[in-house]
Amino acid sequence: MLIANRGEIALRIIRTCRDLGIETIAVYSDADADAAHVAAADAAVRIGPAPAGESYLRGDRIIEAALATGAEAIHPGYGFLSERAAFARAVTEAGIAFVGPRPAAIEALGDKLAARRTALAADVPVVPGTFDAARTDRANDVDAIVTAAERVGYPLLVKAAAGGGGRGMRRVAAPEGLPAALVAGAAEALAAFGDGAVYLEHEIRPARHIEVQLLGDDRGNVVALGERDCSIQRRHQKLVEETPAPGLTGEERTELHAMAVRAAMAAGLHNAATAEFLFDSDRRFWFLEVNARLQVEHGVTELVTDLDLVAEQLYIAAGESLSDAVHAAASAVAEPGRHAIEIRLAAEDPARDFAPVPGRVGRWSMPSGPGVRVDTAIRPGDRVPPDYDPMIAKVMTVGRDRRIALRRMRRALAEVVVSGIQTTLPFDRALLDDPAFAQVDGSTLSTDWVAERWDGPAARGRVADTAAVAAATAAAETGSTSSLRKDTPEERPSGWRTTGRAAAMDQWPR
Amino acid sequence: MANDRSGCGHGSVAAVNGARHGRPVRVTPAGSGSGPEVMAHVVVPGQAMEPGRHIVIGEIGAPDVDGRRHVEVVVDGWRFEWMVEDEELAALRERASRDRGGVAGAGGPLEIRAIIPGRVASVAVTPGDRVELGQTLLAVEAMKMQNELRAPRSGTIARVPATAGSTVELGDVLVVIE
Repeated sequence: MLIANRGEIALRIIRTCRDLGIETIAVYSDADADAAHVAAADAAVRIGPAPAGESYLRGDRIIEAALATGAEAIHPGYGFLSERAAFARAVTEAGIAFVGPRPAAIEALGDKLAARRTALAADVPVVPGTFDAARTDRANDVDAIVTAAERVGYPLLVKAAAGGGGRGMRRVAAPEGLPAALVAGAAEALAAFGDGAVYLEHEIRPARHIEVQLLGDDRGNVVALGERDCSIQRRHQKLVEETPAPGLTGEERTELHAMAVRAAMAAGLHNAATAEFLFDSDRRFWFLEVNARLQVEHGVTELVTDLDLVAEQLYIAAGESLSDAVHAAASAVAEPGRHAIEIRLAAEDPARDFAPVPGRVGRWSMPSGPGVRVDTAIRPGDRVPPDYDPMIAKVMTVGRDRRIALRRMRRALAEVVVSGIQTTLPFDRALLDDPAFAQVDGSTLSTDWVAERWDGPAARGRVADTAAVAAATAAAETGSTSSLRKDTPEERPSGWRTTGRAAAMDQWPR
Repeated sequence: MANDRSGCGHGSVAAVNGARHGRPVRVTPAGSGSGPEVMAHVVVPGQAMEPGRHIVIGEIGAPDVDGRRHVEVVVDGWRFEWMVEDEELAALRERASRDRGGVAGAGGPLEIRAIIPGRVASVAVTPGDRVELGQTLLAVEAMKMQNELRAPRSGTIARVPATAGSTVELGDVLVVIE
């Protein structure tokens, strides 16, 4: 198995392969020559310089590496080439198995408009909007989309047809803002995806982001393995995910799963995928899109279903039908008996609008203990390169119910030790301490959470005094040689030992 | 800078001048771990801290020629980099530099340094260019984000060590304005 990815997901896939006795081949860029995923694999092949465009996105080099090492299959992970139909096709044509959906299905779902049309035809409620690509350099298209905007209704979103991750997206509050948003959205889409086509969607807000984990085999069986609430986001990127989605009734859950399965079957999907929906304040679901790959947040589903989704992906890629374990898990998800939550620890500054802050990690210690799983590829002293995604670890906890999972997450986050780089940890801790987040029915969850409830600079300012005293004391203690301490034992203030240093060294919450 | 410094002060024999328990020290924001909201503090090492905070001591640098020590701490997940020095010495030094009339006045050369490591995406100026306050000088790209660096004051471009496409480390000089 060749893993066409890096970081925690490459390591996570290698681990499953090792469980199954499958040899692994890592690929790496110059930035990752000493990375954990390279050390963990049975073999490793350099594929190019640090920039992703010259390494992890070079499908040709990855296929060459697979052929040279005799790999029988390629797992693309998430991101990078995972949803490039051309790559999946080239892999298959080279006589190598691609662990993921068929190229035609990736193509159909990667085209957001085709996915919207497919879902609509499968009787799945789709976010109101347009269904055809509009090119802003064509007068006819512009006239049509301006007319359509009245029907869609304001506020609305201009979105990139080839897009994802919020790129090319523009919010339009009133008709006079539409022309400028069309031009700006199209330009950004062209720059990001090489395709400037856009479409409109009505803005559903407030809303929760809820998605369904799907698994299908090549005999046309598709099952839902529960849903995940991913409402806590910044810049349309997820920060926290949990399963099941809090507060859904059994009927709502069953209806949602059925809609996702219908959309996936209509698209001819097999292997792992995720159907994303918005859940509005009138408790209606609206189809957004299908991601034809393993998601970052698949781990929470694994904790609740006790499945290894990567292993199931491999069985499916080998031509097997869905396993008994998958069927059993799928029939149990309507009434979940466990709850799992994940926080994505990223090298970002939550006091500066989550700006990425790459650098070298100093101290690094991750939590463990009952109900805790951590997926990471970072080791103490590792460099977080500026070339890739800033996510550095996924901390997950599981328990009988949400209350226990959250309680364990609070404990787990208090065990996290990272120095050298700023991380999203302060936000995660504040979120878990917020009684509104802990509310069981999920009614306070919203994609606007970060914008409405998070004030990073203020939160940082509140600990500055403590940080200054801690630094002063640490410097003084470092300066104190053993002889100095012997001379002046009475100078050591007793308060420090009990309230500060001891806590700092032990890392345990009180 | 601090991120890439490998040596650490643990076990070092040299003390921060005067920074022993009982004598006030001045703690000033330093390096990339400082936020705009953080001011200089005068504190006594070992004084009581707010209880319940989660504190991680990061890197502690060796004292510099002025006896100042660079210290990294992480409190409730927030990373701070500080310069710690004896308050009396700091006050003395301050007075001395005031008497000299200040070293880097408004007319002196100003070095624009990389505040994040990354790749120089584009360079908008060449030596000899006249730039106005707020004008874009260059863009550094890191992790899918472009960070535009703007002129903190008007002046003439003296040097542009940064080239488009090159990799820069935290603290590297990118542009010098005269």
